[in-house]
Amino acid sequence: MKVAKIKVKDNIEKTVLSFLRETIDKKLFDAILIPMMVPAGDSYAWVLAQDKSLLDGAYYLPPIMSVQGAKALSSVTKGGKVNKRVAAIMRPCEIRAAIELSKLNQIELENIFLISMDCPGALPLKDWLKDPKRGVDVFKKVIQHFVDEEPKPDKSVRPACAICHRFSDSDAVDLHIGILGTEGEDILFIPHSTQAEAIFAELGLSLNENLSRWQKGVDEVLKQRKKKRAQVQEELKSTVVGFDKLLDTFSNCINCHICQSVCPICYCRQCYFDSDKVKHPPDDYLMRAESKGNISLLPDKILFHLGRMSHMALSCVGCGACEDACPMSIKVAQIFSLIADRSQGLFNYIAGKSIEEPLPMRVYEDDEFHEVESP
Amino acid sequence: MKDEFKPRIIGFLCNWCSYAGADLAGTSRLQYPPSLLPIRVMCSSRVDPLFVISAFLRGADAVLIAGCHPGDCHYQEGNYYARRRFACVRKVFETLGMESDRLRLSWISASEGPRFANVITEYTEKIKKMGPNPAKKNIFL
Amino acid sequence: MSSVLKLSRSAEEGLRELLKFLLEKKRVKAVFTLCKIKKNGTVSYSLITDADMLKDALPLFPLMPQNAGKLLSRLTLKEHLAEPIAAVVRPCELRAFIELVKREQGSLENFIFISTTCPGTYPLEMSVNGDISKKLPEYEEDVKKGNVISDTRPICKACEHFMPYSADMTVALIGEKDIDKNCEIFLNTEKAEKLIEGMDGELVERELETEEVKNLRSKRQEEKRKLFEEINVEGLGLSGLVETFGRCIGCHGCSRVCPICYCVLCDFDSRDYENEPSTYESELKKRGGVRVPPNTVLYHLGRLTHVSVSCVGCGMCTDVCPADIPLSTIFLKVGEEVQKIFNYIPGKDVEEAIPLNKFEKDEFTEVED
Ligand code: SF4
Ligand code: SF4
Ligand code: SF4
Ligand code: SF4
Ligand code: SF4
Ligand code: FES
Repeated sequence: MKVAKIKVKDNIEKTVLSFLRETIDKKLFDAILIPMMVPAGDSYAWVLAQDKSLLDGAYYLPPIMSVQGAKALSSVTKGGKVNKRVAAIMRPCEIRAAIELSKLNQIELENIFLISMDCPGALPLKDWLKDPKRGVDVFKKVIQHFVDEEPKPDKSVRPACAICHRFSDSDAVDLHIGILGTEGEDILFIPHSTQAEAIFAELGLSLNENLSRWQKGVDEVLKQRKKKRAQVQEELKSTVVGFDKLLDTFSNCINCHICQSVCPICYCRQCYFDSDKVKHPPDDYLMRAESKGNISLLPDKILFHLGRMSHMALSCVGCGACEDACPMSIKVAQIFSLIADRSQGLFNYIAGKSIEEPLPMRVYEDDEFHEVESP
Repeated sequence: MKDEFKPRIIGFLCNWCSYAGADLAGTSRLQYPPSLLPIRVMCSSRVDPLFVISAFLRGADAVLIAGCHPGDCHYQEGNYYARRRFACVRKVFETLGMESDRLRLSWISASEGPRFANVITEYTEKIKKMGPNPAKKNIFL
Repeated sequence: MSSVLKLSRSAEEGLRELLKFLLEKKRVKAVFTLCKIKKNGTVSYSLITDADMLKDALPLFPLMPQNAGKLLSRLTLKEHLAEPIAAVVRPCELRAFIELVKREQGSLENFIFISTTCPGTYPLEMSVNGDISKKLPEYEEDVKKGNVISDTRPICKACEHFMPYSADMTVALIGEKDIDKNCEIFLNTEKAEKLIEGMDGELVERELETEEVKNLRSKRQEEKRKLFEEINVEGLGLSGLVETFGRCIGCHGCSRVCPICYCVLCDFDSRDYENEPSTYESELKKRGGVRVPPNTVLYHLGRLTHVSVSCVGCGMCTDVCPADIPLSTIFLKVGEEVQKIFNYIPGKDVEEAIPLNKFEKDEFTEVED
């Protein structure tokens, strides 16, 4: 594989941005979809930026994931293809969600150039909001630890990020930005499409082939994350698997459905679990109360979570958005990823990995899954 | 030299009175500034406050709602409800320290061509003094 | 003077005993109240039909996991209750329910409302790690003294409507020196007096509105003034709105938990407020850049105009907001100003029409030009 290596000037962030600026200068793209710091300086919002000057406030890798990037891209392209050439730069789990959404017809990828990066994770929104200024420094450390020749896991990232093992998955993007194993000295631009290669040629980026340092960094982080994932999932199993334990886990849930509304995969305009179908006459609730003497309201809390799982676990990308936003700090993403791993494993499917692979529920084989049939 | 500021006013005009009043102003060849972008609605009560807020945030320098005089609404009471809703939306703007003068409610009947021209002239002048809507260039709305 | 049922046990136990009496004597079919759900001391609203289960009820627990008004609306959305249910709710929850009933989202029929003079509740996030249970002794002391209680939600500290308007029974809490020994239940309606017939306890006459209550009201007014000043709502302007709502993540959780936002499909989740690619293009042309997803400020301004006449200041929106935006302060301030022009207190009286659904011929001429 050929890659272009760029020396970091000032810092990684600025170097990536100046690359993006150049692509606009050279008219390779008309607009860039990228997170930008909001005026109060306490968060980042997705902005579709056409003006090059706007990029001064942009961050290709912000400390938090305020809105899942696939949701932003879907907002831009849901109504059909854009007539501009847009580069969208997002974390790997956001890219994967975007791929799932394109299979679900909620994103049109034509004219969209996808860029991702090695992702160190994001800080929990709740921690960040306590002191955004401090958050910026904390995140700088996270990156330092990540790109170190001997990468160290950082405890300040979100639980979903600490166990993410697809932090450098890049099959579906046009361009991947490698920062691992570089000590923050270089950036690797790794092209994955002919369009990316053409852009390199336009920008006069020369390609060399040495990926070994980067690969070593990737392998090391992968090892760490996989270990952590196994450990967390093992612990989780003992606390949430089984109907009673599941009920217990979600007993704090206040039915706000924020987890669903921030989930990139839950794209339905009107969730079934908010529809008229789940609204019942009083007798219904009373009957349920009488059968146990006492019911917690609303009784379809657990139905909501199980239902949501069955609707979207095959496409869950483990991005952690649900958990990050849950006002009751329920481990929604960890639970959903556990279920996702299992159900996607059944179909040998990895959500968002490749655009060619069809959604498992859209295809079948004549001769399969006999084990689920009863004789 | 800087371009002179030409206000853009979005007008929601009720079909039966104010829109006809605008027509009359036109056919009578009355002069008034070309600042109004009229949108015809069947009654002033058809104007959802969200239309007003949307127009404002999309960058309209001002938003005008115009309908039949109280008592003359072709649906009997539409404009009375419209007035309450308008009072509400204006109060929301005021309480948030927003320029509520960029929103206006006027009654203009079908026969009041000159009044229509006056309202537009006078309102355009007022908005000119206020300057462009700051929402126009904001990218974080 | 009102007649009061006096029980010689703590307020919470007394209330539980009342609920038990109502269930056992079959005067009600079920009880709606907060109930313990976990060892760490969190609660959830529950529907209890078995009197033995009342041992887990914590009707006075200072937490509002959901606005009860929204839940009661869900219970009676399709049909009214065929048999009575006693519902223990806070004053703002009762007001919210009444606003919903005015919008035909529920029915008052066969409800018996039991409320309290409300000392306030703690933020939701404090329930996550079980901190509230530790706070309870301190809370009780402050209730007895009629204080503004530290660490309760800012919106509660600033709430003036802490006396229920239309409850059948009111448990006196604020400034009551011996709520750990005595439970005084005000019987506000004939229905209430009938329901407790045959219950042990003493019937006395007294006023609910004590000096302590009056004092707390003025302390809370002062808190409110400070709260509004802190956020400086009236000084926000467009740029202030952009700064305040800039960190909104667009989850719309605030409207989902708001009792007044009852719409099945919120306008702002509808097709109308999604941009077509062509809209994006025209916005780019105008501004050079555009926030995605769009309409953050529009959503909040829109929601403000939709709910301001009826916002009861229950604080649920702030409680769930993942972006920590002081929503309920802004909504309360705007709500109060809007309600003032219509001379309306939301949820006070079910007979009073919602201001936007009525008019007078000769009014508001000052807003016409
Ligand atoms: S966000 Fe949390 S509290 Fe809200 S519905 Fe989801 S799990 Fe329940
Ligand atoms: S369920 Fe949670 S972790 Fe999975 S895709 Fe949705 S938001 Fe991300
Ligand atoms: S709850 Fe907070 S983050 Fe969510 S939409 Fe409301 S203001 Fe925005
Ligand atoms: S806007 Fe907020 S404070 Fe007002 S009623 Fe709704 S949830 Fe309660
Ligand atoms: S914001 Fe308006 S449209 Fe949306 S749920 Fe609330 S009242 Fe309904
Ligand atoms: S028809 Fe003109 S205002 Fe109603």
